[in-house]
Amino acid sequence: MKNLLEILTSTEPSIRHKALEAVLEGAGAEELIQASQILDRFRRDTDNLYARVRALLFLACIHRYQLPQALALTPPALEDIVTGKGALPFKGCEQLLHRRFEEAIDTFLSTVEAQGYSDCLCSALANAYHRLAFQTLADQVRRSVRSVRGNQWMFRMGHPSDQPLRIHPELLRRSPEGAYPILREETPVRMDLTHSGWSDIFFLSMDFPEGAHVINASIDLGVHNRDAHPRPPVSAWLRVLDEPVLRLTSVDLGATADVTSLAEVFDFAKDHLGLLKAAVIASGVVPPGMEGSGQSLAALLASMLGPGRGLEIVSCVNDIPKGSRLAVSTNLLGSLIAVCMRATSQATSLTGTLQESERRLALARALLGEWLGGSGGGWQDSGGLWPGVKWIRGVTAKETDLEWTISRGRLMPEHHVFNREELPVEALRKLEQSLVLVHGGLAQNVGPILEMVTEKYLLRSRREWSARSDSLSLFETLKELLKQGEIRRLGAETTNNFRRCLCTIIPWATNAYTERLISDAEAEFGDDFWGFWMLGGMSGGGMGFLFAPHRKKEAQARMLQIMHAAKRDLQTGLPFAMEPVVYDFSINEQGTTATLLEGEAALMPPAYYSIMIPALLKKDRGSLSQARRAELDSFGEASRSDPNLRDVVPKLFDVLLPRHRAESQGSNSLHELLRINGFDPIQHEQIRQDLKEGRIGLSLNRLRHDAVIECPKTEDVTDVRHESKAGRSLLEKHRRTGETSLRNGEIGVVTLAAGAGSRWTQGAGVCKALHPFASLKGRHRTFLEVHIAKSRRTVSEFGRVPPHVITASYLTYDPIRTRTSAQRNFGYPEPVIVSQGCSVGLRLVPTERDLRFAWEEMAQQHLDEQQQKVRDSLRASLIRWAQTAGEASDYTDNTPMQCMHPIGHWYEVPNLLRNGLLAQLLARNPQLKHLMLHNLDTLGANLDPGIIGWHVASGRCLNFEVITRRLEDRGGGLARVNGQLRLVEGLALPREEDEFKLPHYNSMTTWICIDALLESFGLDRDSLQDRERVASAVRSMAARIPTYVTLKDVKKRWGSGQEDVFPVAQFEKLWSDLTMLPEIQCGYALVSRQRGQQLKDPAQLDGWVRDGSAAYIESLCEFEPSPGQT
Amino acid sequence: MKIQKAVITAAGKSQRSLPLQTLVDRDGTSKSALQILVEEIRSAGIEDIAVIVHPGDQAAFASAAGSHAKRLHFIEQTQPRGFGHAVLAASPFTTRDPFLLLVGDHLYVSGAASRCAQQLVEIAQSEDCAVSAVQATHESKLPYYGAVGGRLAAHRKGLFEIHTVMEKPTPTAAEQELIVPGLRAGHYLCFFGMHALTATVMDLLQSALQSSGSSSSIALSPALATLARQERYLAAELAGRRYDVGARYGLLTAQLAIALDGKDRDEVLTALLEVMASRARSA
Repeated sequence: MKNLLEILTSTEPSIRHKALEAVLEGAGAEELIQASQILDRFRRDTDNLYARVRALLFLACIHRYQLPQALALTPPALEDIVTGKGALPFKGCEQLLHRRFEEAIDTFLSTVEAQGYSDCLCSALANAYHRLAFQTLADQVRRSVRSVRGNQWMFRMGHPSDQPLRIHPELLRRSPEGAYPILREETPVRMDLTHSGWSDIFFLSMDFPEGAHVINASIDLGVHNRDAHPRPPVSAWLRVLDEPVLRLTSVDLGATADVTSLAEVFDFAKDHLGLLKAAVIASGVVPPGMEGSGQSLAALLASMLGPGRGLEIVSCVNDIPKGSRLAVSTNLLGSLIAVCMRATSQATSLTGTLQESERRLALARALLGEWLGGSGGGWQDSGGLWPGVKWIRGVTAKETDLEWTISRGRLMPEHHVFNREELPVEALRKLEQSLVLVHGGLAQNVGPILEMVTEKYLLRSRREWSARSDSLSLFETLKELLKQGEIRRLGAETTNNFRRCLCTIIPWATNAYTERLISDAEAEFGDDFWGFWMLGGMSGGGMGFLFAPHRKKEAQARMLQIMHAAKRDLQTGLPFAMEPVVYDFSINEQGTTATLLEGEAALMPPAYYSIMIPALLKKDRGSLSQARRAELDSFGEASRSDPNLRDVVPKLFDVLLPRHRAESQGSNSLHELLRINGFDPIQHEQIRQDLKEGRIGLSLNRLRHDAVIECPKTEDVTDVRHESKAGRSLLEKHRRTGETSLRNGEIGVVTLAAGAGSRWTQGAGVCKALHPFASLKGRHRTFLEVHIAKSRRTVSEFGRVPPHVITASYLTYDPIRTRTSAQRNFGYPEPVIVSQGCSVGLRLVPTERDLRFAWEEMAQQHLDEQQQKVRDSLRASLIRWAQTAGEASDYTDNTPMQCMHPIGHWYEVPNLLRNGLLAQLLARNPQLKHLMLHNLDTLGANLDPGIIGWHVASGRCLNFEVITRRLEDRGGGLARVNGQLRLVEGLALPREEDEFKLPHYNSMTTWICIDALLESFGLDRDSLQDRERVASAVRSMAARIPTYVTLKDVKKRWGSGQEDVFPVAQFEKLWSDLTMLPEIQCGYALVSRQRGQQLKDPAQLDGWVRDGSAAYIESLCEFEPSPGQT
Repeated sequence: MKIQKAVITAAGKSQRSLPLQTLVDRDGTSKSALQILVEEIRSAGIEDIAVIVHPGDQAAFASAAGSHAKRLHFIEQTQPRGFGHAVLAASPFTTRDPFLLLVGDHLYVSGAASRCAQQLVEIAQSEDCAVSAVQATHESKLPYYGAVGGRLAAHRKGLFEIHTVMEKPTPTAAEQELIVPGLRAGHYLCFFGMHALTATVMDLLQSALQSSGSSSSIALSPALATLARQERYLAAELAGRRYDVGARYGLLTAQLAIALDGKDRDEVLTALLEVMASRARSA
């Protein structure tokens, strides 16, 4: 283990860059535990920040991957699991939730010391070490951002009299009519020309500055076929006001606010003006030190502008869609900061370009602003502030740097703008003539990708490190090819970089949509398609495609069609935020530039007036300030003569007189959809009343406070784990019975796919079953495809085709039907049966009581300080929204599909009864006796003959599969509730701590004896034909099952790629509550983790691949061969 | 270097009446601010003094100077073109000699046996170079002063080698350019309103005048910034405080400081306490 510390402390690259796995290869549990102890001691003692962070990530990796695998070789006995040996201490989990990571680690380690390691404790330690590592890095970046010279003073200001900034006198010089001049900053966005493996991430560049570099071009942008020509896409506008307010307006988001208090300035998520507020703070206009000072904003403005005056700041991005991967937001932040800096004389020149030192300061402040707003990308993102094409690289910290002795690299990179000799203008023109720049329309969160990049870099895992090294050596090639204008070869190399390097470092950089676009472009353009170019954090949004220049025009048109077609095919499974667009672009040779607009030219961007004029029209002209009257006169004059203002008047009419017809059509379609999908308005009204009057709600989901929750006893659970001796022997014992059942056609599969998968896409309202979530056996596969492939495997092995039913809802029925039919049932020998939902609910605006309960009383993960502030602010505004929209009123302010909800998976089996599908199935397959019902997320669930045999032999109505709990398995589990064994949902547990003492997590996979289940409903095979009797049986069973109120996230899409997430209330009944009914005989089997674990969040995917789960799933599947394969 | 000449600038639009204000000096006698300034200069052994005034102000200044009037040279700044321009107006008086420069709207209270001007002149003469008096000032006051950046001179406490001079810098620029080791966080060396300068400054101002437009303003700070690059130029923290008479309550503060430093200290202190006590009672 000596080598382990050498990796962390050596300055010798060959040792320093060694992978953890190389040192720990073949290590057993004992050695891994010993290594962990060494690393934990080391990370506590070392002063070196990066050695500490790397040690923490080594520890996280050992506890997440290596140690659980080693421990699995000697799995704990069922008795130990049931008695809670190695269970999670609630105290440690609470500490984790409150971000007290050091304490949490100590709590978990003391449990380990007392009880030994368990899979569960490993998961908790892995999580705590991982998060402490990232917290340590984030703290360091934050300290570095604050300590950049030029930023420090802003944190010392706490009183308006301390404000040392003064407005530039030119901005106080009014026109004869009384209008103040407007300062306009226009800024290009940046395009990453090399993508050197996300090397501009701070964590990476501050540890490995020599490996951090990009070539980054400032570009003007226009939407192809919409804008006449490319222009700087980002602009920020500023002027003095005669009122002591801070008037902030985002014309693209249609948001404006008169901010009158300092508290509002720091309230980032209150409205859509967070970016403007971050800029106002980061530029020193309202210094960050003023937060919480209780002082007056008017006094602060007075000390800077003179008594009674205020500032107006307006942002504009020319309707460029969000998620373009061209760093539009960061460059807008930079632009806003630049205009504020100029206005307060923090830049030498009020107009024109910025000096290098000023651009660097604006970059440092953009970093500060991003941190304030709770976001953050890499250091190349503010590249639009610089002119032309530049080489940005990490810099090794020297003795004079603030980072000296803390990190190997500096926070701030170095920018070298290429001159004409270094990068001839002809080369750039060639690039412009070949590159088709697009926005594919996918909106994805890049945050987890950036965290993965950092982690993989620090671990130096072999494949990833080798790919990073290749990407670095490719950099020189790309630079040279660009210089020579060898665009064809450049395209080959960027594709090579994408395929060989980027997708190896982060497989999630690509997706099914991107792959489809690339292959369609190849098929369509053949040799004239020169290559793919990934921009930014991941593909699917902003991307580049290189074509032979003579076909560029054609390619622009065709790529738009190709993207539209691909989107049409995939949009039911992938969360698209907008329609794809193609951009026109050109290199911007100036960088950010300011102009002073005076007199009649002192007008804001045209869209500003669409927002402002309706409110102004309601005022008496006499009550408007002289400056405002002068401005309106100028605007009136200009709107008659300036062609740029031609669209404003129609837009004004749209705002003043909204088109009623479209609204009522939308509303009709919701009513129609509700009607045809079995909406029960009487039940809905009852639920609304109950919710309003507090008879139901989140707090009332819980069992009575005096309910006794205990762990199950040993005899309550049967061990069927493949890795345990007892489990193997039991499976072996029953295998033959199971195989016979399979061969006799007694077994069917039911895949639950009616849900909206809210966690998977944060409420995007797409069909999770059709999400091509990972590449398995060579291409991206959907959840549905995986489940069918497992059944295909059963067909191959046992020669009998088990009926495979997919349950669906209003949201998923049509997409699943269409896809299964288009893909010819994914090669399944018989039609995949899709069960249609029979009822829907209408979402409700939540009550303040439930929102507060969810956010203030239930235990939940605290975020990093600034992110938590932003979240608190957002939640306060969502509570205001609920109050304004009307608590418990119908949620209708969204697309109809996003207003409805499936009413819980309990209904999915009764639906099979009600829609007659089970009856048909039994008529066609009278030998069918048992069903395996499983969640869409539970990819490992398959028709295991051993488990089937055990189920058949048990004679029980229902057998549920459970797994041992890990930290991430949040929710209820198997428990004795007041002495009765049952599965209990997390939201029903009376106390938070109860969850952590339950060792078994419900995987939801259920083995159903069809006849016994029908009997519990008071039915049999024959009575299934009697619709009325079935409906009545379902109703009476439903009445015995509790109804839960839940809050779900739902996305509302608007503008150009904008998305807001709202919490909405809905009700649901859950399948596992059948276990509470005494007449239904239930059993419980402990299965191996890989069989029972669920994929609920895309952030789990990387670990799922790395811990071997993906390979395990591949081993269960028999995918339909692709065309051309045999 | 021997300094035998001094220049007081008092032609600025907001400065013109300030030297004419009457205060009670340390010795208990009523004097104009101008008289107090002249006595400050004379304490440094300088008898040859020029006052730069706005056209037409000479008579009022002569009257305010009282008995010192006869030793003063009044020079008119014919166009209001900034502080540097006012200083340059004194070049026929200073010729190629070094000179002490004081602004007419500041008064000084020394914390040592010798007065501020005397301390400065002694440093300039012993160091044989231009020296500006400076005072560590909180960054919130940066909009009012010129400021210097540099490092401590090796051999003497309170003396700094100047590298940079900026006029009314923003705190952003100050933090990047004007950090001086040894000062408290957020404090910068700002001008004290008192400089011992060499003839080079006049040359630099002259060249600035020639290269500028016919009506543009000429500031002193850029010339001093150039001076720092051309020859040795120091900043000295003096034992004393400056008082800006032109600031809000500036005259009152200056008066209090002078009075509390003089023979009537107890009387003034008693009066102040009485005011405060009566305010406290009524509150």
